[in-house]
Amino acid sequence: MKMLRDVGLLYRRGLIHTLRIPVWVVVGISTPLLYLALFTPLLQNLAGAPGFPPTDVLDLFLPGILALMAFGSGTGAGFAIIFEIQAGFTERLQVSPASRFALLMGPVLSSLTWTYIFTIMIVAVAIPFGFHLHLAGMLVSLVLLGLLLMVFASFSIALALITKEISSLAAIMNGINLPVLLLSGVLLPLSLAPTWMRAIAHMNPMYYVVEANRILATGTIYDAKVGEAFLIMVPLTVVVMAWATRVYRRAVS
Amino acid sequence: MKNVVTTTELRKSFKSKKGVVEAVRGVELHVGEGEIFGFLGPNGAGKTTTLRMLATLLPIESGEAMVAGFDVKKQPHEVRRRVGYVSQAGGGDRLSTGREDLILQGQLYGMSTTDANARADELIDDLDLGEFAGRRVVTYSGGQRRRLDVGLGIMHRPDVLFLDEPTTGLDPQNRANLWELIRQLSGSGTSIFLTTHYLDEADVLSNRLAIMDHGLIVAEGTSRELKQEIAADSVVVSLKSDEGCSGATELLRQESYVSHITTEADHLRLYVDDGVAALPKLLRLLDGNGIGVRTITLSEPTLDDVFLRHTGRSLHKAGMNQRNGDSE
Repeated sequence: MKMLRDVGLLYRRGLIHTLRIPVWVVVGISTPLLYLALFTPLLQNLAGAPGFPPTDVLDLFLPGILALMAFGSGTGAGFAIIFEIQAGFTERLQVSPASRFALLMGPVLSSLTWTYIFTIMIVAVAIPFGFHLHLAGMLVSLVLLGLLLMVFASFSIALALITKEISSLAAIMNGINLPVLLLSGVLLPLSLAPTWMRAIAHMNPMYYVVEANRILATGTIYDAKVGEAFLIMVPLTVVVMAWATRVYRRAVS
Repeated sequence: MKNVVTTTELRKSFKSKKGVVEAVRGVELHVGEGEIFGFLGPNGAGKTTTLRMLATLLPIESGEAMVAGFDVKKQPHEVRRRVGYVSQAGGGDRLSTGREDLILQGQLYGMSTTDANARADELIDDLDLGEFAGRRVVTYSGGQRRRLDVGLGIMHRPDVLFLDEPTTGLDPQNRANLWELIRQLSGSGTSIFLTTHYLDEADVLSNRLAIMDHGLIVAEGTSRELKQEIAADSVVVSLKSDEGCSGATELLRQESYVSHITTEADHLRLYVDDGVAALPKLLRLLDGNGIGVRTITLSEPTLDDVFLRHTGRSLHKAGMNQRNGDSE
């Protein structure tokens, strides 16, 4: 089928292009490592404070870092598209009979692949430092992280197509970044937060992924919070991807 | 001759802060099979907007367009398969090599990998890309990039190739090379529709052309037909003193052999039926009235004269007074 072939062609192109800018690979892996090295020690001293969940610090913190990585790769996906728009590449694809869904899915899947590779590397690094790996839980976690990435990558790419220039996209993405991060409990669990803040956090898709990830990291899979995360993320992914495909389809002016 | 592009009453307007801008206001044109059709006009005339509608990149607001035998509004997908489009930006994939990019292009147009490889090799030969096809596009010079852009545009052997300002920014050598390439393509049966704001390009390269200004086509035909329509030679007179200009205009307007006069800064432009006969009469008349002539030149009509006649402005000046940039 033409659409699947187009997805494959653009997916392969995306993978190769990332390799051709090795800086991205370096940053992709060093950022989470820095969090682990420079943030975890602070948490060690907080453990045992009131409201802090009674688990090992890394078991609590790593699931958040993994969500952060997926979120970061997702929001970053639009920036490459801006350069492609400016080089006329996007228009060249739009004037071709290539499937519009493939135009979106190619870069999204290649970003997903790289993020999975980094994720597995980070988890492997964290194990000797005290992270307890529960394989089944981690696999379910990876699915949720994938959905999270697809939502934000599609969103970011659609915004790139609409704004067409880097400063607007950067401003919007920065504006979204901070509230999404602070209201997701990535760095510190929201069990420490006042009730009103937890109430707002329920508007944030990332919050559900982080919460579910923490549970999955303990090895528990059949949990209401995990179910809730899927119930929210699956339809959200479908809606955002459908919208982004439409933005590709609607000819740019 | 069969037409590969036909439009009727094509329109497009954009909303801007200042209100609605009517970029294309009822364009009617046709491009014959195998023709090089030039679309001449200043920046902002609506050329690119028209081209983008025909190439399925912009929705058509009203009017009809048939391209390569299909209705652009109803069957954009069929049009896409039969059309090549090279935008002003080009479209080469910066991090790929030229060869990889050609192959990807072929595959996206539905070629098998084997066919795409063979076709890429063929184009690398034909367009003389061999020297740089193995390098990444980001390292190419302007001329090299343009050659690749054209290659990408014809990779799938389209019936019609749209070229938007193909030679803008190229040095004379590369420009001449590209013209040669376009002629070759046309010779091998591809119909070509190109926009340009260069008079000489429209004049020398195209078999037929349309002149566009403010969203409308003001003239259409072969270069020779358009010039003959003016049916006059042009004489440019520059005077020793600027004050003489208005007096000279008044004086010359009364002469029966002068069909049209325009005043531009420090010189007059007259259209006369027969330049050779008129020249001595002009000189005698001006001299007899004490108006000193610095230079006088006689020329056969150019496309700029055609443009001037239809729009009241010279193309060079029109370009400067339009909106900035090439985004029409």
